[in-house]
Amino acid sequence: MTKGWKGYKAGGFYDELITGKGSPRTAARQALRLLQSLPEEDMDSRRQSADLAIREMGISFTVYTEGGNIDRAWPFDIIPRIITGKEWAQVSRGLQQRSRALNCFIDDVYNEQRILADGIVPADIVLDSPNFKAPCVGMSPRYGAWAHICGSDLVRDQRGRFFVLEDNLRVPSGVSYMVENREITKRVLPELFENYSILPVDDYPLKLYETLAQLSPRQRRRPTVVVLTPGIYNSAYFEHAFLAQGMGAELVEGTDLFVDSDDCVYMRTVDGPARVDVVYRRIDEEFMDPEAFRADSVLGVPGLMRAWKQGNVAIANAPGAGVADDKVIYAYVPDMIRYYLGEKPLVNSVPTYLCMREKDRDYVLANLPKLVVKPANESGGYGIMVGPHSSKATHREFARLIEKDPRNYIAQPTLSLSTAPTYVDGQIEPRHLDLRPFILQGRDCWVTPGGLTRVAMKKGSLVVNSSQGGGSKDTWIVEGKA
Amino acid sequence: MTMLSSVAERLYWMSRYLERAEDTARLVGAYNHLIMDIPRGSEPAWDIMIRILEAEHAFEERYRAVTEQNVIKLLLADTAAPCSIPFAIATARENVRTTRDVLPEEAWELVNELHLYVGEAAKSSVGRRNRHTFLAEVIARCQMINGLLLSTLSRDHAYRFIKLGRLLECADMGTRVVDVGAGDILDRAGSHAAIEPLLWSALLQALSASSAYRREIGPIVEKNDVVNFIFTQGNFPRSIKFCVAGIREELTPLNNHEQALRAINRIRRRLNRLAVDALSREELHAFIDDFQLQLSALHQSIADTWFRIEAP
Repeated sequence: MTKGWKGYKAGGFYDELITGKGSPRTAARQALRLLQSLPEEDMDSRRQSADLAIREMGISFTVYTEGGNIDRAWPFDIIPRIITGKEWAQVSRGLQQRSRALNCFIDDVYNEQRILADGIVPADIVLDSPNFKAPCVGMSPRYGAWAHICGSDLVRDQRGRFFVLEDNLRVPSGVSYMVENREITKRVLPELFENYSILPVDDYPLKLYETLAQLSPRQRRRPTVVVLTPGIYNSAYFEHAFLAQGMGAELVEGTDLFVDSDDCVYMRTVDGPARVDVVYRRIDEEFMDPEAFRADSVLGVPGLMRAWKQGNVAIANAPGAGVADDKVIYAYVPDMIRYYLGEKPLVNSVPTYLCMREKDRDYVLANLPKLVVKPANESGGYGIMVGPHSSKATHREFARLIEKDPRNYIAQPTLSLSTAPTYVDGQIEPRHLDLRPFILQGRDCWVTPGGLTRVAMKKGSLVVNSSQGGGSKDTWIVEGKA
Repeated sequence: MTMLSSVAERLYWMSRYLERAEDTARLVGAYNHLIMDIPRGSEPAWDIMIRILEAEHAFEERYRAVTEQNVIKLLLADTAAPCSIPFAIATARENVRTTRDVLPEEAWELVNELHLYVGEAAKSSVGRRNRHTFLAEVIARCQMINGLLLSTLSRDHAYRFIKLGRLLECADMGTRVVDVGAGDILDRAGSHAAIEPLLWSALLQALSASSAYRREIGPIVEKNDVVNFIFTQGNFPRSIKFCVAGIREELTPLNNHEQALRAINRIRRRLNRLAVDALSREELHAFIDDFQLQLSALHQSIADTWFRIEAP
């Protein structure tokens, strides 16, 4: 048996596989029996085969700061995370509800602005936000869907309850790793699958294609869908290629497309120009069209916005969808669910203090060592202060930042992220993790079974981002009795 | 199903670089074999490979002395020189990395593994002991990739541009080997008459043509037969004639092919008129020189027509 299994203690946190008393959770029992029966050398050789598979499959992500060596192998832990189908069904319904409400909100703020008029969400935080894109006013994409692909980050608290930490509505990434993680586990721990019925994840590209094809402005049997990437130096390029291949779609860069005088989008092909129906953009809207947004962008396609506004092309996610991807707006999602759907939120949000509100700000400034402070407008885990893990000097620095620009900061209680047994340096230790499921919204709404589990590989750390040394785990949704 | 111009261009270069890596490995392998068979002092100088690959500039930038060690280091282990095997493999890999979506999934895995193998093994393969294994492995893996593409790709644009790249590179390399190799042998003008057959067979070996030649022509190797075989033996898949026919076949179904077809037809006519027996050493060289220009004109017209399409 590998060191660390005996006497495994998650230290007061909720552990995904093992209860506080040290016994396996029901769904994990079979898997743990097998993993614990493996001799130490065997565990290590499985880890090595996983590393090899990752290198051979070329699963990588890109880090900007490393000079010549831009490609890093994807970090992966071989012990899967296991969630019961029953629990997941509940979370999944909650995520669908959230996605519907968020899309109602986006459609509303670019059209009637009822929610602002009714004073549910203060008008200024929407209309003055850099995420509110004036060129999108008056647009109503098909099915009222703006954020067609959403990646929501979930965490569990001490009691094991799921909370949505944020909704990524711009260009969320990670779904390819969710699919590849399963593929790796199948290769290196095939025995684990014998006693389980695990929901498959590899149909994601197909579901994505169905969602995108529904948006096509032309009624064709097989609309032309393209994946627009900023190029090979983007950290998620691997994923862009993966999804294009999975959908049988063209992977294009800005220079492959042009908008003609008929305001339609075409790609340059060996047979001449070919009309494009749906653009799945993996490029920030700021860089999408130098005519409409940043004029210095060389990544975009001049005229793309024009074509979209004329209804000649569908863009996913729709430009402007980012208006709901804002840590301040996040605080209002439960209100949106009640307002648009007349329902009670099915999945929790984390209590959020908005520094723009005086009362909240006073509380935040007085309690910095207990709180997590985040800039409203960053992603990738940058610019975050985790109060309990930061020095007094950092607390003072953030106090200054908050007072200077309160609109840009929010604070939340420090959540005790759940843990799972993780194989680190030859032994088993608890590590914190989160979960990013992906929600597709077209005519219907669909949620991935599970999602991408990200692990903070450093002991005690809560930072799971791969750009900052995080790892990942295969995530199982298991049906029936295991 | 159409194809992005940029993707067609990358597939074309992927294929050219893979072919180049394989051909370079064969060339080095054949030369290695040769030097062990012939008396010291009568072997072609090491720089013959540098001349064939037109790598004089890269070589002079790095080394002074033309020694076995330096030449092999440049061709087998230098990652920055465009004439080296690692460079060709890395470039092919970059092109696959950006065209994964149109290739079978295993293509990326195989090219990536080849890249990893070359990265790990190249340095330790400069010495004579591991050299053969390394070259054989590179050739085998390139063939595996070709086999995968040949047996799984639909006969559409992806296959077409891959085939165009491979055949153009193969024709280009074939003519270079004959030009420099035959030149070297003929320049000796009988001074080492006894070893001439060895040299001609090494030349055939560098183009993987030995056994095909033996079956078609017989065991005796001499200049006219060898040069004729390499240029005009239409059944042999690495002959110039075969490459030219294959290129023509793939250009025919493409849209807007007029310019490129004119170029390939010119090449074909030239090849049909070739009478090796009547050519002197200089005339052969002039013929090949002109032929190479025609090949590069063909490449240019392919690039102009299908790779760089301006918006209307």
